[in-house]
Amino acid sequence: MAETRILFRELDDPALRTIDGYRRRGGYRSLERAFRELEPDFLLGQLEESELRGRGGAGFSMGKKGSFLPRGDMDKYLCCNADESEPGTFKDRELMQKNPHLLIEGIAIAALAVDATRAFIFIRGEYAEQADIVEQAVDEAYEAGFLGENILGSGFGVELVVHRGAGAYICGEETALLDSLEGKRGNPRLKPPFPAIQGLYGGPTLINNVETLMNVPLVVEHGAGWFKSFGTEESTGTKVVSVSGCVQRPGNYEIELGMPSREIIFDLAGGPPEGRGVKAWFPGGSSAPVLTADDLDVPYSFEALAGAGSMLGSGAIIVADDAVSIPELALRTARFYHHESCGKCTPCREGTNWTVKMLERVVAGEATPMDLDIITSVQENIIGNCLCVLGDAMAMPVGSMVKKFRSEFEEQLRGVASSSSGSGANGAAGTAEGTATSSLAQAGAP
Amino acid sequence: MSEKQEITLVVDGVEVQATEGSMLVDAAKGGDVEIPVFCYEPKLGPPVGACRMCLVEVEGIPKLQTACSTPVRDGMVVYTRTDRVKEAQNAVVEFLLVNHPLDCPVCDKGGECPLQDIAMGWGAGRSRFTDPKRHFQKPVPLSPLVRIDRERCILCYRCVRFSQEVAEDEQLQLLERGANTFVGTFDDHPYIAPFHGNVIELCPVGALTSEAYRFRARPWDIEDAGSICTLCPSQCNVKHTVRDDVVERVLARDNPDVDDGWLCDKGRFGFQMLASSDRLTMPQVRSGGALDEASWEEALERAASGLAAAKGKVAAIVGGGATNEEGYLVQRIVRGSLNSADVDSRPVAGPSQALRAELGRPDRAASMADVDHAQAILLLDCDPLHEMPILDLRIRKAIRRNGAKLVVASARPTALDGGAEEVERFAPSEAASFSLESDAGRVLRDAGRVVVIFGERVVCDSNPDAAASSLLTLAKELTLEEDGSGLIEVPSGANGRGLAEVGCLPGIGPGLAAAAAGRSAEEIQEALESGELEGLILWEADPVRDFPDPKAWHSALGAANFVLSISMFGNASGGHADVVLPAQGYAEKEGTVTHPDGRVQRLRPGVPAPGEVQPGWQFLTELAARLGDETGIDSAPEALAALVSEVPFYGGLTHEEIGAHGVRWQGRDSADGAAAVGGPGEHGGTAGAGTQAQSRSTGTASADAPTPNGGLRLGTYRDLWAGEVTERNPALRFLAPTQTLELSPDDAERLGVEGGEAVDVRSNGFSVRANVAIRERMRPGAGFLIEGLDGDGANVLGGAGEVSVTKAGE
Repeated sequence: MAETRILFRELDDPALRTIDGYRRRGGYRSLERAFRELEPDFLLGQLEESELRGRGGAGFSMGKKGSFLPRGDMDKYLCCNADESEPGTFKDRELMQKNPHLLIEGIAIAALAVDATRAFIFIRGEYAEQADIVEQAVDEAYEAGFLGENILGSGFGVELVVHRGAGAYICGEETALLDSLEGKRGNPRLKPPFPAIQGLYGGPTLINNVETLMNVPLVVEHGAGWFKSFGTEESTGTKVVSVSGCVQRPGNYEIELGMPSREIIFDLAGGPPEGRGVKAWFPGGSSAPVLTADDLDVPYSFEALAGAGSMLGSGAIIVADDAVSIPELALRTARFYHHESCGKCTPCREGTNWTVKMLERVVAGEATPMDLDIITSVQENIIGNCLCVLGDAMAMPVGSMVKKFRSEFEEQLRGVASSSSGSGANGAAGTAEGTATSSLAQAGAP
Repeated sequence: MSEKQEITLVVDGVEVQATEGSMLVDAAKGGDVEIPVFCYEPKLGPPVGACRMCLVEVEGIPKLQTACSTPVRDGMVVYTRTDRVKEAQNAVVEFLLVNHPLDCPVCDKGGECPLQDIAMGWGAGRSRFTDPKRHFQKPVPLSPLVRIDRERCILCYRCVRFSQEVAEDEQLQLLERGANTFVGTFDDHPYIAPFHGNVIELCPVGALTSEAYRFRARPWDIEDAGSICTLCPSQCNVKHTVRDDVVERVLARDNPDVDDGWLCDKGRFGFQMLASSDRLTMPQVRSGGALDEASWEEALERAASGLAAAKGKVAAIVGGGATNEEGYLVQRIVRGSLNSADVDSRPVAGPSQALRAELGRPDRAASMADVDHAQAILLLDCDPLHEMPILDLRIRKAIRRNGAKLVVASARPTALDGGAEEVERFAPSEAASFSLESDAGRVLRDAGRVVVIFGERVVCDSNPDAAASSLLTLAKELTLEEDGSGLIEVPSGANGRGLAEVGCLPGIGPGLAAAAAGRSAEEIQEALESGELEGLILWEADPVRDFPDPKAWHSALGAANFVLSISMFGNASGGHADVVLPAQGYAEKEGTVTHPDGRVQRLRPGVPAPGEVQPGWQFLTELAARLGDETGIDSAPEALAALVSEVPFYGGLTHEEIGAHGVRWQGRDSADGAAAVGGPGEHGGTAGAGTQAQSRSTGTASADAPTPNGGLRLGTYRDLWAGEVTERNPALRFLAPTQTLELSPDDAERLGVEGGEAVDVRSNGFSVRANVAIRERMRPGAGFLIEGLDGDGANVLGGAGEVSVTKAGE
């Protein structure tokens, strides 16, 4: 099987980055049509009909979310979530770096559809190069009249600001993103009210991921029916999947949703190094419950992965081969969320902290079997009880690892570690096994 | 405001009636179900759902919901004690205790700690956490008044939300992230802010403790005594924590109609002076040159004979801390047995009786709750932070939560300028010329419900009647008689309104009725000096310190034949007294006071007064009797009854009716009595008011620029921390201000002075040394000094209009 390149069409042409190159390839035609000929309601209808689902993690219908915004004279906002921080996820980085105008075009059309006159791209602070590129593209778009007041004489204007984040994972959570954008500490807000009703500066706000918004011009250009011809019934379109960890050809692959996961991992990404097999894999970033080699034939779609007990999430596959220590992987995962927990709600703040302490003892061989039960129980006490999903994002994968690889944890307790000593979990490389673990850790590092 | 419907929901199988949209945690209480909370505190604003303690099961919603943020609707079915809920509650308690030291036996909060209570009531009773807990240096000062123990902190956010969203001082922050989060200030600066003591009370654990209360008592050692704080006109409802007849702590006693459950730090920490060893505990009588302790019998006899000898020529000045009963009895003695007319309770004369009654008309009076829902608020020459601190918080709340538009029209920049829609700066004592034609006025004109808050100084100035007339014109133009609108006067004395209503103003008797013309405080001073007056009663008043021109007061008191002073402590004016009687402190008094919005509130004695100190109403009735007036008063309720009988609009008011939360007299049937005293509904001065106001403003056109000889127009203000309370309470002393001359940058440049530099401010041969503070928002041509400082208060300059400024020593 091969990739289905829609978003990635001619992606590697360096000229695509400039407005002239982009326009030579038909860029901004959807915007021109939308602003000259189409009604906002029609646009929103097309998006809803296309069943385009959010590509950031939650997978909520974009058109439906847009339709939640109230009509009326109040200031409305659109925020593009480019704070791509989920370990293993690096699709938005490549998309913004190589095709920034597609994003800008998508933002302008989506803003028109929901009557938002002010738009922001909240871009991860570490993406300095990409932010420079996007800023350059925004300047070009302003100059060409695709942004700013009264776009193409339509009477409708969109102001677009690129805002660089300061490096907190939590700011990728939509309400924390809003707080951060408002100049506050990036903490999630209580929902409801949802951002669509009361978001940035208290105004109705549409928040979408980079990849989601990039699909918008395509839906407008080719129609909802064309878009739905890709993918499955419940997962329409294509998906850029970031594959990392123990594979021979890590990278981004754009696939038609519903492709068997095995084909992504093996045919596209080359599978694990010679002589190794897949032990566990995260199908949707490090916050998705892990799947095992038994699950490799699950189709890569929202519904099939949910059916398998995990989720498509941000569309990032991280592969752990049979040389990887699962307890160390669990610790590495927990440490990330412990470090990134904002501390606002109790179960996440204390649960991530406690879990790390217990897993450190497990990896050091200083834990008891009772600790494994407590780890499991603590994960259960976190899931569903937090203010936002960050706590769940640790509890689900860690819980799934203890459940599916319990015997390996027990061996670790008895000092019969299947992998190297505890150093691998810290990213230090030593033995061959250590290298494998560390490359995994790097893929997941923020 | 649309009326919310009453609905029915089912909590743990019990049908509960509640108001639609109220939060589940509150609604459940109606069914006798307590849902535990840590972060939820409606006083702080909308719920944040951070602690997760209140998770409950709601039928039809798959995930557990936080009861603090779930509005109730009709037919909702809620379970708070199912296994699933219990498991989640146990889990949250266990999580909270992961890093809590459980040092309850040595913790000040022990015994009154929500974390203890909830851990016992909703926790599993054990923890599975065996790893090391986090450690901090502890307890460290967060400020000179508050200690922070970060190990005990459960990061509920309450204190930070208070700082950021209620007091808006924004000093407290959450630093670091996740499990490393801790509460602190930028760069570890001390948290100095006038309301910061509230965080102690908000803290649901022992993380924030009061420096003044640490290790002083256990909850089982203490009793709570409810009363009113009379250290300022806010008249906050308080609970005195009493151990062994000593007040050890002051807590808020929530009353949304008065204080919203907040206290300022002056009220919270100002109790130490009650137990001061400097207090007067015995009457004193002058014999030879010195004051000697004497029996009550001897002192009252001397007082009676001294006053009787001056009959017809006796005046009284009543300080703002007096109760209504005390004020009433003082004026009754002066106006009755002593056949005199001169009673005042203010440093500067105010408007005539007719205008005073008009200003106090009940339909024009706004309540504190009206401030919450006002669409616009005009703050006229008043800075609540200094004059009535709790009002500052209420105005912030009105702006933040209900979108009220604030207009500040004042001579001195206020703490609320930042949140104002418009700010108009006047020359000192010219704010009464505020006009609706200005940009600021336009904000008010079409706003709807408007509350006008004005400082006493607006109508107590060079031309009080003209100022009062302008104000009444403004009231008419803004239709302040409509519901939800109105006037609130911020008096200079804590019980300024009550004292005015019971007859402590010249020419104005009890019930604001017309009385024989009398002298104002300033005129009393002159008459004493000239010999027209011979006797003086000073009730908790120290004119030498607080009133304009201390030198003149010294000679006036020296010239008087007989001076009776009643005070808690010895003071400068009392130094001239022939008889000094010891006064009760506010936690010892029984009586009533009247809030600036007309709410009559009740002081209850929480501790016995020291030594031989007697209740004021008691020795005043004895004094009256010795002067021939048998009042028949034998108890505090009878003292109230006596004054009520002369104040028609307090008609029939009793201690029982006043109760714990007070009664606004405007809301009672007897309020009609007040409209009557004002004479015809429309006051005669209205027609001329506009022109008068205009003449005031044109007359001050020159105030913009420096006066011809390069001087400044002097304004004065009472700083929150200037005064005896700060000096008498060890905890507060660090806040005592030094004299400061506030200048605009332009004037500082013109005068060649820099911020912090010492200068001499001179007028009429008097001089005050002050340090320069440059204020960006100060109007050029004006300078401000602090009143009420001991020795170098602004009053030394005698209310001077114009001052010259030179570098110190030049």
